[in-house]
Amino acid sequence: MSEERGGRGRGGKKDDKGKGEGRPRGGGFFRRRRVCKFCADKIDYINYKDVRLLSPFIPERGKIQPRRISGTCAKHQRALQIAISRARQLALIPYVTD
Amino acid sequence: MSQNRQYELVYIVSPDASEQAIAELHTQVEQIVQRFNGTLDKTENWGRRKLAYEIGKAREGTYVVETITGSGEMMKEIDRRLRVTDSIIRHLIVRVDEAIRVADRLRDQRKATQARRRVARGLPPEPSPSERRSDRDMDDSDDLGLEGTDQR
Repeated sequence: MSEERGGRGRGGKKDDKGKGEGRPRGGGFFRRRRVCKFCADKIDYINYKDVRLLSPFIPERGKIQPRRISGTCAKHQRALQIAISRARQLALIPYVTD
Repeated sequence: MSQNRQYELVYIVSPDASEQAIAELHTQVEQIVQRFNGTLDKTENWGRRKLAYEIGKAREGTYVVETITGSGEMMKEIDRRLRVTDSIIRHLIVRVDEAIRVADRLRDQRKATQARRRVARGLPPEPSPSERRSDRDMDDSDDLGLEGTDQR
């Protein structure tokens, strides 16, 4: 029993590895930065008045960049959401850009 | 206790308003703060800024940021006043004391953890500036190694 379980566990890991290998094959030799910017820079309070801090997370359309692209951790993404919506109210950042 | 809440007030004054009108608005806010026994900690005037989108007919406005300590009742009154004032095209009140407290605690925790780990490695608890830089360099070279440059 226990051996079987171990086997399954290993199998799962193999699957994960497969996915990991699939990515670079598709996109060439490109290692995506998966580090949360705010964790790396040790920013505890995301200030809504700091447009330069927020602007990397707002692509051209003015939407908030999803976590899967920016690599921000859940905690900081939540704080970022709040900061961006405050900045939008103050017309520091557009709601939409066409 | 409720007297010691810290708030940030940001308001955007219409571009038609004169310097004097802006100063008057500031004294209005100050008076309300004094009436409620609060304190006005800091005032920042960002000057004229282009707005990200049009508010009414305005394309730009003067931003003023005030940091105020006081009660919620006081902020309610300020909010009401600003809402009524025509020359203010937008304003925002945010309570900041708790966010700042959380940020401070996180920073202290991080410092404590760093100090403990450094002591465990037999180093002095505070890193010297030169040491910090060398740490970063080492990280960089590690990255380069992974990306396949022949540094070693």
